[in-house]
Amino acid sequence: MPLPISYSVRNLRARPGRSLMTAGIIALVVVACSLFLGLISSLKRTLVSTGNPMNLIIMRKGSDNDGSSQMSLEAYQAIRFFDGIARDAQDRPLVSPELVVQPFFHTRSGGRENVLVRGVEPIALAVHDQVRITDGRMFTPSAHEAVVGRGVLGRYAGAELGSDLEFRRATWKVVGIFDAGGSSFESEVWVDVRELANDAKRIFPYSGIRLRVASPGDLEPVERRIDDDPRYALDAQRETEYYAKQSESANSLYILVIGIAVLAGIGAGFGAANTMYAAVQARTAEIGTLRALGFSRASILSAFEIEALALSGIGFLIGAACAIALAALIGRLLGGVAFGAATFTTNVITLRVSTTDLGTALALSLAIGICGGLGPAWRAARLRPIEALRNA
Amino acid sequence: MKYLGLVWANLGRNPLRSALTGGAIMLAVVLVCFLLTMPAGLNAILDHVSNNTRISVHNKAGLVYQMPYSFTRKVRQVDGVAAAVGQSWFGGAFEQAGRVTFPNFAVETEHIGAVYPDYPIAPEQLADFQRYRDGAIVGRQVMRKYGWKIGDRITLRSTVWPVSLDLRIVGEIAAERAPMLWLSREYLDQALKARGRPGLGTVGIIWVRASDAARVNAIMRTIDEMSRNSDAETACETEKSFISNFFGSLQGFVTIILIVTGLVALCIVFIAANTASMGVRERAREIAVLKAIGFGRRVIFGTLLAEAVALSAVAGLAGVLAALGLTRALRQLGGWSDTLGPLGAFIVTAPVIVQGVFLSLFVGMLAGVVPSFGAARKPVVQTLHEVF
Repeated sequence: MPLPISYSVRNLRARPGRSLMTAGIIALVVVACSLFLGLISSLKRTLVSTGNPMNLIIMRKGSDNDGSSQMSLEAYQAIRFFDGIARDAQDRPLVSPELVVQPFFHTRSGGRENVLVRGVEPIALAVHDQVRITDGRMFTPSAHEAVVGRGVLGRYAGAELGSDLEFRRATWKVVGIFDAGGSSFESEVWVDVRELANDAKRIFPYSGIRLRVASPGDLEPVERRIDDDPRYALDAQRETEYYAKQSESANSLYILVIGIAVLAGIGAGFGAANTMYAAVQARTAEIGTLRALGFSRASILSAFEIEALALSGIGFLIGAACAIALAALIGRLLGGVAFGAATFTTNVITLRVSTTDLGTALALSLAIGICGGLGPAWRAARLRPIEALRNA
Repeated sequence: MKYLGLVWANLGRNPLRSALTGGAIMLAVVLVCFLLTMPAGLNAILDHVSNNTRISVHNKAGLVYQMPYSFTRKVRQVDGVAAAVGQSWFGGAFEQAGRVTFPNFAVETEHIGAVYPDYPIAPEQLADFQRYRDGAIVGRQVMRKYGWKIGDRITLRSTVWPVSLDLRIVGEIAAERAPMLWLSREYLDQALKARGRPGLGTVGIIWVRASDAARVNAIMRTIDEMSRNSDAETACETEKSFISNFFGSLQGFVTIILIVTGLVALCIVFIAANTASMGVRERAREIAVLKAIGFGRRVIFGTLLAEAVALSAVAGLAGVLAALGLTRALRQLGGWSDTLGPLGAFIVTAPVIVQGVFLSLFVGMLAGVVPSFGAARKPVVQTLHEVF
């Protein structure tokens, strides 16, 4: 006959201070782990969610990001009329020539960061369909106007609707703010590509191009045709793969964080085991009585395991709530967490603890409960009724 | 001292509990030390450069903008400049890695040694760097990561220039925190010309060493003045300011590391306090008897506190040692990840060790003080009443 669950729960309440302390330990581990996991997964999500599976990014062979690539006007004009490229309602090919520079922007806190400024033509909004202007309007070409991403907004001096944004020697009026579904475009500033090329005094007017193919079947042929063209030495890759590759750097961080979480988890497991051992010891007589009354070893074992699990469950709930609140607080105070990417540009990510992160933390806290409770529960189950009663 | 036996016996009374608590504290101290190595790595670099007289000269608009190479010569003639070297980002990817995994620059081989006299590089290696066109000087961190040694030949494919260069390692920067590689600027220039390119007419950063600290500000002003109204206006700054700006974007990450470290530390306090209070409660009767036969409050309080502190101190020391071992192992693997930059050197510095040990002592005190105080203060009669 199993012991009722309320037996385990009531036992937790018998020593509320000690139970709360143990739950607190687990909660702290949950907070620490979810914050770390949240940070890394926010970074990964930002990069992975960037790009459209139907888009190709074309750069100089050998360069690994738009910042170090360059492309001539002729190459752009030739590629523009390749077969298999999607067209908009006015029958213009969805090909966006782009120039990327990374000037210094000065943060409100006095630091400076390399911000990715992307020179584009208005067609870019059709190619990058993630990007939507939410406030104001798109810039007018040749008017020295700029639109800024949500992540940039307010972080740097002048990055505000209606303000003047200064970098290098020019001044750009911010006329719009765009949202890009949490992707890394939100950490960028977009301006007119020709004005930017003039300002940067570049020999090659473009870094590369982004284009949309007409159908998934066209990806392969267009990619091959660009890769194999000996005139321009260009390399085409899928936009989603390009960003996924950039997010690979986050993978080693992930392993690091999981390692930290496991170590912290083992420590918390020790703490939980301590509490449960003490509980077993204090209740020796009670366990002996239960056994004498006919409760089986299995039911004693499960009662203590349930107690440990309940403890870790409570710890998880407290920890999860604190982690979400803390993440929001950090986001508010720091205005997003900046990450210097391998490409030297700054990605401003919004720290968010996702359900996956919480799931991992839940698994960790349940593991703490099960492992921490196993030793004590086993000891309780093995108590011999007569001796237990005699000791008492 | 005579109570040492009592403290020891009490610790051994429930060896499993002592071991679990000690283990938990040890793990937490390992974590705290490990996490602290990250910001400590950044601070160590800043400390290292805070006293030197090096100045970075770069384009005011940003590091990706260049300056004409001829400007290097002009800078060298400025009064008070002891040495200056032009440095260009090569962005070389090592074939096996497939992407840029360590910073690498093309530098003027004849000037680099004079700008970095504080870097541990053997003079004959610097001489070889000038002698061999394809020579490279590599930081110890990179050497270790890829298992390279002096004399090895490697190929770096540039992600910035349309060239791949075969290099021969002729020297090592024998410092734990040296993550970079230097190659000859002339070699790159010739390789570009061989490909029909105009050659390397620009420079990314000019590193200047001032002859003495008092002249640093004047030199910075003069250089900025010289470039005023040119195509490439410069912004000079000290090496310290350059480094702290360069890694400024890591601040957010560092903040989160520190928060997590704080949480883990708090966690140890809870674990230790929980154990201490359990120990005191179980021994209530014994404590009452001790007091009844005449032991003072101070002795009771002292022995109980000593027990908590001894446990956490031993565990803390073990944790610090384990952290040393762990980071050593990670460094042998060549550092964890290039994504972490200076945070990923994983060197347990003296301040980190001190912080770890102090943390554990502090935890022991904090955790032991409340229950011990309670036990020492409780009237004997009441305790005996409760127990019997």
